[in-house]
Amino acid sequence: MLTALWPLIRAIIWSAIGGAIGYGFASGLVTFTDPPQNLEVQISLAYVGALLGWLFGIGVWKYWGREWFGLKPDHNEIKGASRFFSFSIDHKVIGVQYLVTMVILFLLAGALAMLLRVELANGSQNLMNAEQYNTAMSLHGIIMIAVAVATIMGGFSNFVLPLMIGADDVAFPRLNALSYWIVPPVAVLLILTPFFGGFDTGWTAYPPLSTAANGPDGTLLFAFAFLTFGLSSILGGMNFLVTIIAKRAPGMTWGRLPIFVWSVFAAAIISLTATQWVAYGLIMIILERTTGMMFFAPTAIDAAGVGLSGGSSILFEHVFWFYSHPAVYIMILPAFGLELEIISHFTRKPVFAYKWVVRAFFAIVFLSFLVWAHHLFTSGMGQNLHGPFMLVTELISIPTGIVFLAALGTMWRGRMWLRTPMLFALAMVFNFSIGGLTGIFLADVATDINLQDTYFVVAHFHYTIVGGEIFAIMAALYYWYPKITGRMYNETLGRIHWAGMFLFFNMTFLTMFIPGVEGMNRRVAVYPETFNDINFVVSIFAFLMGLSMIPFAYNMANSWIRGDVAGDNPWHASTLEWQTTSPPPEENFEHEPEVFEGPYNYGRKRAQASQRPARTPAPAEGD
Amino acid sequence: MLILLWNIFPVAASREADIIDEAFLILTILAIPIMALVVVIMGYSVLKFRRSEGDFEDAEYVTTHKTWVHSWLIWTTALCIAVIIFPGWIGLVDIRATQNDVADVTVDVTGQQWVWTYEYPDLDVSIISELVLPVDSLVRFNITARPDDVLHSFWIPAFRMKIDAVPGLITKMDVTTTEIGEFNHDQNFRVQCAELCGLNHAIMFTRVRVVEKDEFDAWVAEHSAS
Ligand code: HEM
Ligand SMILES: [Cu+2]
Ligand SMILES: [Cu+2]
Repeated sequence: MLTALWPLIRAIIWSAIGGAIGYGFASGLVTFTDPPQNLEVQISLAYVGALLGWLFGIGVWKYWGREWFGLKPDHNEIKGASRFFSFSIDHKVIGVQYLVTMVILFLLAGALAMLLRVELANGSQNLMNAEQYNTAMSLHGIIMIAVAVATIMGGFSNFVLPLMIGADDVAFPRLNALSYWIVPPVAVLLILTPFFGGFDTGWTAYPPLSTAANGPDGTLLFAFAFLTFGLSSILGGMNFLVTIIAKRAPGMTWGRLPIFVWSVFAAAIISLTATQWVAYGLIMIILERTTGMMFFAPTAIDAAGVGLSGGSSILFEHVFWFYSHPAVYIMILPAFGLELEIISHFTRKPVFAYKWVVRAFFAIVFLSFLVWAHHLFTSGMGQNLHGPFMLVTELISIPTGIVFLAALGTMWRGRMWLRTPMLFALAMVFNFSIGGLTGIFLADVATDINLQDTYFVVAHFHYTIVGGEIFAIMAALYYWYPKITGRMYNETLGRIHWAGMFLFFNMTFLTMFIPGVEGMNRRVAVYPETFNDINFVVSIFAFLMGLSMIPFAYNMANSWIRGDVAGDNPWHASTLEWQTTSPPPEENFEHEPEVFEGPYNYGRKRAQASQRPARTPAPAEGD
Repeated sequence: MLILLWNIFPVAASREADIIDEAFLILTILAIPIMALVVVIMGYSVLKFRRSEGDFEDAEYVTTHKTWVHSWLIWTTALCIAVIIFPGWIGLVDIRATQNDVADVTVDVTGQQWVWTYEYPDLDVSIISELVLPVDSLVRFNITARPDDVLHSFWIPAFRMKIDAVPGLITKMDVTTTEIGEFNHDQNFRVQCAELCGLNHAIMFTRVRVVEKDEFDAWVAEHSAS
């Protein structure tokens, strides 16, 4: 066991060394300036040092960096369990690393949500004080955002996307490993924030609150965590774009790409080009905190008592949402892809209006960059902007509608098999309808003036992110479980999980709209007593939803060891990842596959009976 | 169903609140049939188009259907444009209708961690304990936050109106009061900070009292500095 963990231990030792060097360097540096009131310069450089040490120790140097200096890099041939704890460059290992990390973070942030709901069960202070609530709420939020961004774009894209296009790996395997190994430091930083005074700004971190001199250092850690995570997102986005462009198997034309691959392609464009915006914003926050540069705070008094005039906090709001609105499409576009993929295979019918769906994806990418200021309707920005941003935002409902048409059209007269993945995919269609429709209330300026920053918003975005994306992720976890682990999950437990999660998710968040409409604002630990009863009900439902995660966690862990052997293609699905073994061999396919038909040719009369919609050519292995 | 919806709104004590509630109601009325359509198609498919365990026969090879796709596109686009115009654009214009009128009462609001200060520049009143307004009057709020403070948001649920209090910037909000009421009877008569502003954000609220005009004059006389 310990030997399996050796790369990790080495990385931890190196990050300690790097952190110490950074800290020492910063301590020297601050002697050249007015003595700062806090240790934020030291913390910042210690983190940068620790991050570099971590990457150095985990293998970036050994397997990659040496090459940059004309040395011979080691060959990465780690086998067995220790692959998962090392700088493995196999996309399937990286996919599993991402998925396991994200499921753990999801359960952790879910536990935080339970704490929030205990506090909110009535309007007075019970479990946490205001500071602890703010920290718990902010942590829950940012961890869940990370889960929502990286589970599909890091996890499933890695494991299945190269298989689906018949590639032996992604375009840049080492970059891929790097983008995973950047993530654990993010988790560590976030988990450390409570020990640095917490962080109390929510994941949006608007200044001047996030840059306040008397604010906790935890906010600085948060800013570094988000920044580091963004780097991973950018690298991942670039990698998948190039992979899809360059690594498709012979015959895998653009028109034959599975719809999930298209959705990742669309989302990767956003990851690659939008993330920089939030990074600039966060860098400015870090600099404003550590060096007093005044990007956002309008005025301040410096140590000598001189008044300084600075910038505008609305600037940050724009920069922040210029990433964070497109980011919600990094979450939901691949979820649409998963939904359509699974519905097609489980109804044995082609994805309806495939070409229109692809067009819709790109329309969404384009529009997603033009709507950011709908988060600023009550911010005090110029009111001439309200109309245009309302207009563009509501236009997104047209391409989104196409995705619904495709889902419903695929189901229609299909031959449906209601296994757990399909149940989750159907639930996603239902939930996202509510999420999308309530979004219109927030795009409409008149209603948004009232609803902005209330529980209506909280209910709405949980409908889209949890009801939409997390349900799609659940569908995909069950769907590809046999491919990833080689074993079948337990169907009964899967259905229990589905029933509980679907029912109680809707009970929790449908009820949550009511306090929003009735005038309860968000990000509060205490509230007027008129909202007591309704919040008590919401909390009970939320706990029940939390309980529904127990069969899920048990099923995932237990079936990996004890599940029945699944076979190569338990669903008799037509896409390429099912035409190899479960789990696939290191090189993915025994022979490079060659593709003769589109991915969804269910029901099509074929020239030869033996011909499968997408297949590995002779010598075909069995079946 | 709609009666039920009417009832979930809290007291609407301003002209703007009526516009906003109406917009909410119209959007809800439009959303319900769309939701119903999705549920019906999906429910029907689940009940009707099933196959049993171990049956892997394919369904019919249907990849698209021109008429369906085109009419779906036309319908969703039409609906979308309709909603953008009404309640969207029209609601927006309605809410702003008073911006060029002369206000009956002007209140300068300043937010700071974690109190609101209200100044009535024409009446020489400055107060933090409560916000008192005359009924049936156009009230203009000039809102800001202290320059060295953080963002806040000035929200009165009974009026349905809010706008951020931004350090270094004055934001404006018009409200035409229409109903008498006070916090002690209805908690929606409160100024609630709606933008996370640190430790005591949740309790950064003041009671609001909307009173008859003569009562307001009496109150001003009592609190005026001059
Ligand atoms: C049982 C499940 C969940 C419950 C009961 C829950 C509950 C909550 C609560 C009470 C808040 C704080 C609202 C506030 O004070 O403003 C919150 C915020 C949030 N939640 Fe969840 N949540 C759940 C799952 C999720 C999931 C799965 C995601 C995303 C994948 C998510 C994303 C967020 C985000 C982004 C915030 C905003 C934090 C902020 O305002 O900065 N939640 N949630
Ligand atoms: Cu947005
Ligand atoms: Cu506040």
